[in-house]
Amino acid sequence: MFIHNFKYTLRILFKNKALIFWTFAFPIILGTFFSMAFSDIEKNETLDIIEIAVVDNEAFQNNIIFKEAFKALSDKENEERLFHTRYVKEEEAKELLEQGQIAGYLLLEDTPKVVVAESGIDGTILKQAAEEILQSGEIMKNTGGFGILEGGASIADISDSHLSYTMIEFYTLIAMTCLYGGILGMYAINQNLPDMGSKGKRVAVSPVAKGKLVFGSILASYVVQLIGMALLFAYTVFVLKVDYGDRLLLIILLAMAGCLAGLTLGVAVAAVFKADDNLKTGIIISVTMLGCFLSGMMGITMKYIIDKNVPLINKLNPASMITDGFYSLYYYDTLERFYFDIASLLIFAFIMTGISMLRLRRQKYDSI
Amino acid sequence: MKNVIEVKNLTKEYKQLRAVDDLSFEVHEGEILGLLGPNGSGKSTTINCILSLLDFSRGSIRILGSEMQPDAYGIKKEIGVVFQDVAVFEELNVYDNMDYFCGLYIKDKATRRKYIEEAIRLAGLEDFKRFFPKQLSGGLLRRLNIACGIAHKPKLIFLDEPTVAVDPQSRNNILDGIKALRDQGATIVYTTHYMEEVEILCDRVIILDKGRIIASGTNDELKQLARIEEKVSVETQRLSGKYIEEIKAFPNVESVDYSNGLLLIIYKKGKNNLTELMDYLKKEDIPYNRIYSERPTLNDVFLELTGKELRD
Amino acid sequence: MIVFKTFLKVLNKCKTPIIMYTVFLLFFSVFNMRTSGSSLSFVASKPDILIINEDEEAGITESLVKYLEKNSNIIEIDEDEDAIRDALFYRDVNCIIYIPENFRKDFLDKKNPEVRIKSTGDYQASLAELLLERYLKTANSYNETVGSEEELLKMLDATLSKQVDTELASKLDTGSLEKAGFYYNFTNYCILAGSIYVICLILSSFKNEGIRKRTMVSSMDYKAYNRKLLLSNSLFAAAMWLFYVILSFPLLGKIMFTRHGLVYIVNSFIFSFCALTIAFLIGNLVEEKNAINGIVNVIALGSSFLCGAFVPMEWLPAAVLKIAHILPSYWYIKTNEMMKGIETVNMETMKPVFINMAVILGFSLLFITAANVISAKKRRLG
Repeated sequence: MFIHNFKYTLRILFKNKALIFWTFAFPIILGTFFSMAFSDIEKNETLDIIEIAVVDNEAFQNNIIFKEAFKALSDKENEERLFHTRYVKEEEAKELLEQGQIAGYLLLEDTPKVVVAESGIDGTILKQAAEEILQSGEIMKNTGGFGILEGGASIADISDSHLSYTMIEFYTLIAMTCLYGGILGMYAINQNLPDMGSKGKRVAVSPVAKGKLVFGSILASYVVQLIGMALLFAYTVFVLKVDYGDRLLLIILLAMAGCLAGLTLGVAVAAVFKADDNLKTGIIISVTMLGCFLSGMMGITMKYIIDKNVPLINKLNPASMITDGFYSLYYYDTLERFYFDIASLLIFAFIMTGISMLRLRRQKYDSI
Repeated sequence: MKNVIEVKNLTKEYKQLRAVDDLSFEVHEGEILGLLGPNGSGKSTTINCILSLLDFSRGSIRILGSEMQPDAYGIKKEIGVVFQDVAVFEELNVYDNMDYFCGLYIKDKATRRKYIEEAIRLAGLEDFKRFFPKQLSGGLLRRLNIACGIAHKPKLIFLDEPTVAVDPQSRNNILDGIKALRDQGATIVYTTHYMEEVEILCDRVIILDKGRIIASGTNDELKQLARIEEKVSVETQRLSGKYIEEIKAFPNVESVDYSNGLLLIIYKKGKNNLTELMDYLKKEDIPYNRIYSERPTLNDVFLELTGKELRD
Repeated sequence: MIVFKTFLKVLNKCKTPIIMYTVFLLFFSVFNMRTSGSSLSFVASKPDILIINEDEEAGITESLVKYLEKNSNIIEIDEDEDAIRDALFYRDVNCIIYIPENFRKDFLDKKNPEVRIKSTGDYQASLAELLLERYLKTANSYNETVGSEEELLKMLDATLSKQVDTELASKLDTGSLEKAGFYYNFTNYCILAGSIYVICLILSSFKNEGIRKRTMVSSMDYKAYNRKLLLSNSLFAAAMWLFYVILSFPLLGKIMFTRHGLVYIVNSFIFSFCALTIAFLIGNLVEEKNAINGIVNVIALGSSFLCGAFVPMEWLPAAVLKIAHILPSYWYIKTNEMMKGIETVNMETMKPVFINMAVILGFSLLFITAANVISAKKRRLG
């Protein structure tokens, strides 16, 4: 009996085009959009070679320090190269700036002056470079020609790897898919509830314990959900090159816990609200979108802001716990945070199950 | 005669409304019992209570000798229900829908296949096995709905208005199917607000109005209840008042009405009313085109009992 | 009139998603505006840094901290290892600078202390490194030649305070233009999603088999009926456009009263028209009501992501932008982006803008033609 219902629930879920679109295809499509839009963001945030001009006047020609320094900073062989420099007349520099071909230009008269089109990082770098050269001259003068010395206090870079924050977008996408999976559970359960429609009545008058049917339907939804999740994972890993870290078993554990949270949410919505499928789907989608929004889908800083200021909200938010779980697997070496996230998801699922049980246990209804 | 269902003092109250009011009746083995009543008279509520879908306020319900409970699976196994609304999966085809619902009752696959094929034949769906519900016409969909409810060969079948909005051909098919089920030994509870169906189908009828039984019995017993016994209509022209007065004085005559060349005489009871009238007409040499006698219909009974037409 | 009335009734049924799109627009516009300031003189970018100083706050250490404070934004975070890690990941800080214990002493004793940093690797972080590096280099140089710490600090201060004047050449209010660009880019999503969703839903209601038959047999001229339906939809699109334009005035302020603002308004009007034609085409193609929601999301989100409505165009990969050329949204957003760099609006500078608008109108024409071909085919029940 259990298998009979399980088997048919699987078929019913897979046959429903709208369900499959939202739980299988939509996350993949959205993931593709994310990947197309975000793939270059971080690359753009690293320092590019900046297009600048230097006004090639007498003052510049006579200033050896500036001349040499800009030559070095624009040298293709130099690893710390900052600029691509054109040496032009002042009018030409102005024109280039107006056309947006250069970020700014250096004009050396009595004192050096930097002219830029807008406030921003490129202008700041040019300004800083000019200042550094100016100050180097100062040091040269003050130290009696010694100039800048090697050695002394130094910088050691101990930066972490795995700093790609666009990964968060994909983690929220997984979270969204987990919660959308609730629609599957909701749909499957609704078929077994006599107060939700005539199919439920038909099932209710059959000689099968309701618990068995409900459990079969839930399990079938979970299986469908996990298949969708596996497809999404495969697609994001192999096609979109999303990095989930390398602890495969824990990743699977998290995905399963996340799906469970989504599934139980769907079941609870199905059990608690007396409304048609459309409205229930609407409720699940709204909850999902709000959860994903708070966990950073529409701007990853949102999650950080919430985590920092009202951490409780995100601890209650399953989307955020899923996102955070992946984040901690990706970025953290220790696992406390990950296990906290898993535990939080399981507690959420447990509470949802409890709520559903209270409602699903009833056998007779006041009105149907 | 064995009672398949025994309902005693069943009362179901909603906040404002008493939907079923102190209902008691039995259903005998092997009969088709018609539950007749206008919309909102409490037919579906009664059935839902009997099936343990609805909580009720007072009363007791016994089916096949034991008390009906949501987990009385032994009883449920013997019951088949066809609800008013079509209850099938859009995602499954005709055969799979039947297999799913039948599978809730019968585990053995071979038996199930046999039963489903029989039900498909009964419902006349042989050519549509692989069709999806969306591709079926309204009548075929109704037939599928019924087939899903009775494929497992239940001993007791509830049919809740199965012919609403069905074309005449499908309707006849459905009614024939129900008779066939009875002939195979099933007991059937049939709710409807179509009088004709009850008249041709049911062995016994219970008439409900506002949650109460206002009458019950066989078709004939019910018609006895009505004060009228016979309606005689005569098509005749230019009948003078004198004759009408004389006819009024006949024994058993309840009322006489003459308009537009149609004479309508209603008799309370009595046997040779028509012969007596024809003798009188011959004697007085009154010409007439047509003369006919009608037995009252259940509709007349209903009208008589409740003062309103059934189909409103 | 009756067509229009019914139209309004159906419209009333789909108000929820429209309200949702608008709330998104408002939220992100306000959110975005809070972050970008506006100024007419040059403001140097300052990296966000966190200093973890394990040394005493005196002498050279104090001077280093002060220098960093002056040239960057110091972020205060609880000294909780996780909080610090999170702050770095989410770019709340671009660079964490650890000043080791005994830095001052070791430095003066020429023991070559090491300042450790953790950075996000982006340009803000590079800037922070640049600042730190310069300070240490300068300090190292003077440390060799100067005897006392006091003198060292004095010379350091004198040298590092040497500045280069910076001048803004452009008189454009880039901050305001940035905001306006963001707002109008985002309306790409709202207009597309709103018009496709509503118009498809309405068309599918009106084209419902029964209703269609009924109107075809009614005494109303079929062409007149279609015209009225088209007019109702256009009115809706226009109303939606007007709503977003009016909304932009309080949000964006005086920039909307300039010629630049006018270009944004005209551009969005042309795009709204194009969105209307897209909606008409899809409404004619799609029969099933259930499918509309999916199609709306794919088209509106797709166009918005690929054409730079959410992520600035200059940050999109070149390949994606190439694909985006086949979408009307690209030309709409391109105009918005161009406006940021155009100082004076006149016939000459507007030439590329006109070309973009012409392309959008070309797209519209294409969509109308396609919609007509399809609806003509479907005219007969069949």
